[in-house]
Amino acid sequence: MLWVDKYRPRSLDKVIVHEEIAQNLKKLVTEQDCPHLLFYGPSGSGKKTLIMALLKQIYGASAEKVKVENRAWKVDAGSRTIDLELTTLSSTNHVELTPSDAGFQDRYIVQEIIKEMAKNRPIDTKGKKGYKVLVLNEVDKLSREAQHSLRRTMEKYSSSCRLILCCNSSSKVTEAIKSRCLNVRINAPSHDEIVKVLEFVAKKETLQLPHGFAARIAEKSNRSLRRAILSLETCRVQNYPFTDNQVISPMDWEEYVAEISTDMLREQSPKSLFQVRGKVYELLVNCIPPEVILKKLLHELLKKLDSELKLEVCHWAAYYEHRMRLGQKAIFHIEAFVAKFMSIYKNFLISTFG
Amino acid sequence: MEFDIPLPEELELLEANSYYPEEEDDDYLNFEEPPYPYPIDGDEEKEEEREANLRRSESPDINGCKRPRSIVSDPIVNLDEGSSPAAEKRSKIDDNNRVEMEDEEWLRPPPIKKVVHVMEEEEEVIIPQETILSRYASEIDGECFPITAPDGGDRVYAKFNRALGDEEVKKLDVKAKSNGLIKDPISVLLEQSEKEAFNKVLQASSEDQNESITAETSVMHERLWVDKYSPSSFTELLSDEQTNREVLLWLKQWDASVFGSEIRSTTDEVLSALKRHSTPSHRQKSDSAFTRKKQFSRWSKDSSSFPKNSDASDSNATDNHDLRNKKSKLIGPPEQKILLLCGPPGLGKTTLAHVAAKHCGYRVVEINASDERSAAAIETRILDVVQMNSVTADSRPKCLVIDEIDGALGDGKGAVDVILKMVLAEKKHATGKENIDNGKTSSKKERRTAPLSRPVICICNDLYVPALRPLRQIAKVHVFVQPTVSRVVNRLKYICNMEGMKTRSFGLSALADYTECDIRSCLNTLQFLNKKNETLNVIDIGSQVVGRKDMSKSLFDIWKEIFNKRKMKRERSNDASGSEAKKFDFLHSLVSSRGDYDLIFDGIHENVLQLQYHDPAMDKTVSCLDCLGTSDLLHRYIMRTQQMHLYAYLPSLVIPIHRRVAQIQRPTIQWPKSYHRCRTLLVEKQESLRSWHHKIPPYIGRHLSIKSFVEDSVSPLLHILSPPTLRPVASHLLSEKQKDQLASLVMLMHSYSLTYKNVKLDPAMSNLREGAASDASALALDPHLFDFISFKGRQYKHHVLTLAMKQVLAHEVEKQKILQASGGRSGILSKPPEIKKINPDLVRKTIAASKESHKNPVISKPPSVSVENATTSKPKPSDVKKASRTALSFFDRFRKSRKDYEDPEDVQKRATAKRDSRPLLFKFNEGFTNAVKRPVRMREFLL
Repeated sequence: MLWVDKYRPRSLDKVIVHEEIAQNLKKLVTEQDCPHLLFYGPSGSGKKTLIMALLKQIYGASAEKVKVENRAWKVDAGSRTIDLELTTLSSTNHVELTPSDAGFQDRYIVQEIIKEMAKNRPIDTKGKKGYKVLVLNEVDKLSREAQHSLRRTMEKYSSSCRLILCCNSSSKVTEAIKSRCLNVRINAPSHDEIVKVLEFVAKKETLQLPHGFAARIAEKSNRSLRRAILSLETCRVQNYPFTDNQVISPMDWEEYVAEISTDMLREQSPKSLFQVRGKVYELLVNCIPPEVILKKLLHELLKKLDSELKLEVCHWAAYYEHRMRLGQKAIFHIEAFVAKFMSIYKNFLISTFG
Repeated sequence: MEFDIPLPEELELLEANSYYPEEEDDDYLNFEEPPYPYPIDGDEEKEEEREANLRRSESPDINGCKRPRSIVSDPIVNLDEGSSPAAEKRSKIDDNNRVEMEDEEWLRPPPIKKVVHVMEEEEEVIIPQETILSRYASEIDGECFPITAPDGGDRVYAKFNRALGDEEVKKLDVKAKSNGLIKDPISVLLEQSEKEAFNKVLQASSEDQNESITAETSVMHERLWVDKYSPSSFTELLSDEQTNREVLLWLKQWDASVFGSEIRSTTDEVLSALKRHSTPSHRQKSDSAFTRKKQFSRWSKDSSSFPKNSDASDSNATDNHDLRNKKSKLIGPPEQKILLLCGPPGLGKTTLAHVAAKHCGYRVVEINASDERSAAAIETRILDVVQMNSVTADSRPKCLVIDEIDGALGDGKGAVDVILKMVLAEKKHATGKENIDNGKTSSKKERRTAPLSRPVICICNDLYVPALRPLRQIAKVHVFVQPTVSRVVNRLKYICNMEGMKTRSFGLSALADYTECDIRSCLNTLQFLNKKNETLNVIDIGSQVVGRKDMSKSLFDIWKEIFNKRKMKRERSNDASGSEAKKFDFLHSLVSSRGDYDLIFDGIHENVLQLQYHDPAMDKTVSCLDCLGTSDLLHRYIMRTQQMHLYAYLPSLVIPIHRRVAQIQRPTIQWPKSYHRCRTLLVEKQESLRSWHHKIPPYIGRHLSIKSFVEDSVSPLLHILSPPTLRPVASHLLSEKQKDQLASLVMLMHSYSLTYKNVKLDPAMSNLREGAASDASALALDPHLFDFISFKGRQYKHHVLTLAMKQVLAHEVEKQKILQASGGRSGILSKPPEIKKINPDLVRKTIAASKESHKNPVISKPPSVSVENATTSKPKPSDVKKASRTALSFFDRFRKSRKDYEDPEDVQKRATAKRDSRPLLFKFNEGFTNAVKRPVRMREFLL
């Protein structure tokens, strides 16, 4: 098992990073008044871990015994029936699902399936917990219609069911849903916190971890706990007695983006733009989200730019990212940004050096 | 005209065979060189005779009850043949009605005439005698013959050279009446030459009709010009001569099977004549010297055909005769039973099919897109065409024309299937019973799938529609090409003259050019203009609303238009600023009539960077890509909100792009593949990730999201999976630390359900390392995670495990899987190192056990049995043997015999010694055995 999974805190008490939040959650649960919850924060900050720990706190060990179910649903939508396939993870008391998997048909999942699940009150309520929990992942990817249909469900069945929503960005969740939930913001852990976690892992693994090295890993990790622990393990595998200036192997795709940025700075012409296009396609094919590519590309460019250009380039990056989110074909917009950058840079070069 | 050419040749022929009683040629002679004054009223008598014939034709029952189908037209046919040269001169006398009739009759199948010849000759024989008679012998050059009238005693001289013919004709007469099948060489010759003449006259007559029709139609003003001037005869067709002729030839090849086999020889003549016409037709025109040669050869052929027919065994070397022989052998329909005509609209495909079928004597049955075209409906219609004979007067055989077969894909496919079925059934049958008389087979076959015994002509616009693929292989395909502009213009001019519309040929050619020689749209435009009393203005053609064909060009053409700037246009733009607006309109309409904007923009995106435009500061590129981005936004918005009317704004985005990047030199345009390739690859990879994700046990998998996996997990994971410190050595040689490392790695791989699998190397890869191991398959991670970190033009820096190491890992993971499946996951899962320890323990124990059992002679027995034996009686091996021998079970015999084989002590010892050296060893021989199987427990092998 990877260290990431091995040393994941299983209960709210053992949480290291977001200790305060964990304590608050624990208090919430023990007072038997758990509202709907909305967890949001960047990936790798520990949302899922917290949710699992919370579930364990509510239901005890039975929450960890989950089984995967792949069910096909037939939804009757007026004139036609829609076949949906949905994978759920469920224990006796909770169900976890990702409604945005259904794409543009997510509305039916919310309207029919979630409603049906919420309706059924758990029968063996011999314990004190008279409700079950639905965990919905990636709520921000839900369409607007689905979110609208969700809010009524939240109200109507609140006596028998609690929803725990999990997403990266709360800006895409409608206000209506946000106001019905207790919003829990999970920050990306700070460098110090990451170092703390790394040291904890190292102690468990009985490793000697120099503090400087841990700090370096934390710095490189982009404030993602998962990434930090994974790179620690990588370094362990590659070269055990850690040295302070050991190489921390970077992500392959990030290196590739760096290559692209040097290409862009080297030559500004339609021809080089064409080469950049090929590389961007490669990145997209390998499942790197286009927003991440654009962000990383900007990051790489900013390292090498004159300060007077930075503001303008950032502005255009934001502009094209906005258009990219409105549009469909990410490649058009990434390329447009690249072209824009090339144009700006070329003009700058001409004006500076004549 | 066509018939002018063979005329002198006919004369030559006549001169060569002067005994040859060719009445038609005789007429020519009379007509052209009238050496003898007509003593009596030659012309008038003829006229009378014709009228008599006419009358006869109106009451067809007079001469033939044997062949009611064909006999109706016969008299007139004869008459025409005899009189048409003269009729040409007298066409004004003839009323329209008559000519029309005449013409109609001409379209009748030619073979009919053979039988009728005889009667014809009777009349014709008389006519020449009348004309050649003279009172004075001096007026007749050549030999003459005095005749004395029986009543008056008047004496006249008759020309002599007719006598022989006379005799022959009388003989013929008798024969014909007796059986109707003529084998005489002379009669065959007669027919042959007559046939030749027939073809000439046929065309001449169609000319007549043409004129008459135009005269007739000028009276009526309400009809569409397209219908009014649609070619009604073969020579009028505007399409390519070659194609026309080949279509006609193909139709003629059906004659034998459609009109019956007794007329074989005649059709052969026609076929050969047509063949002559169709293949070298263009050459014939080219130079006169060649023509003469050609004529000569034809003449020699004709003369040589005489001996050939006189004795059948003689075979001729000329290709013409080869063809004839082949045809006479193969009486059935042509090899390719379906004719497929294809070409752009408005070139006259349908017209050609109709005219040709009519010409060959068929009644056209048309099925077009407006009819029901399901398979069942088509089948009944074809059966109807093939089998039924209509009761009405029009009893010609039918010819099926399926128009727009490519039109409706779903329905058209049904039709294609039915036709295919019929053709294939025919073929199968033909190969099965080749020797059976063809006439009968068709009737027999109708029990099963009906064969195709009538010509079927299919018409389509696009030859490469998927539905037509099977048809393409079996049909005779003719592709229509655009007629030359001059041809179209000539025709248009002729029609305009007919309609009294004033045009200039320059304008007409511009119009033809504009419509891409689509004569239908040309005519419609002209008629429209005529109605409005406007004249065709060359400059206005573009802007005139009329005549504008709403054509959708291919995508490549559109991209070419976008990327290409025309030099001419630019020059004009200096003159008038209006041309810019025109270009704007043009592009806009081009793109919007095509639709498919998504693909158009993809294509622009794909190709725009390959253009050679001058762009030092990348401004043009930026604005192009901005336009593309806007199109994407708009597209997405339309799709999301379903406001389709907003699509109207998409085409205009093309124009700024055109203004920025259009160049004069021709761009090389590629189909936009990369975006779709990217998308499919992405989906593929996501799918593989997802299926892998499902395999991971949920307590790990739930924390792993597919979306961010590549972003932040895959690289470190791969590093962890391939530690550089691991050495591929036997496990007992590893240090304790390394063992731990290996064990944890195996656990990791297992818990993430990763393993190494055999994969076939890419051909390129195997070429690279050909020397090392070309045919050895490599082990790769399953799922193939290395795909996610490999980018084009960049080598990943991950340490790759050796093949041996991978094998070890794959093996260990497999073992782990089995262990976990059998032993339940709880205990083992948390303590992987224990298993390692347990294993050696187990082995040690087994070794000890085997050593123990070594002392026991009954080694081959499973330990449990031996224990049992030990407790009960401990029998000697011989006892066991006996016991087994006494057992009557069928299977025991096998067991016993095998034991016999193993029994010898030395073998046993060797085996045990060998086994003791290694803790566990078993060998599995793959293969096939027909021995009886019985279940054996693993532990029986272990000890």
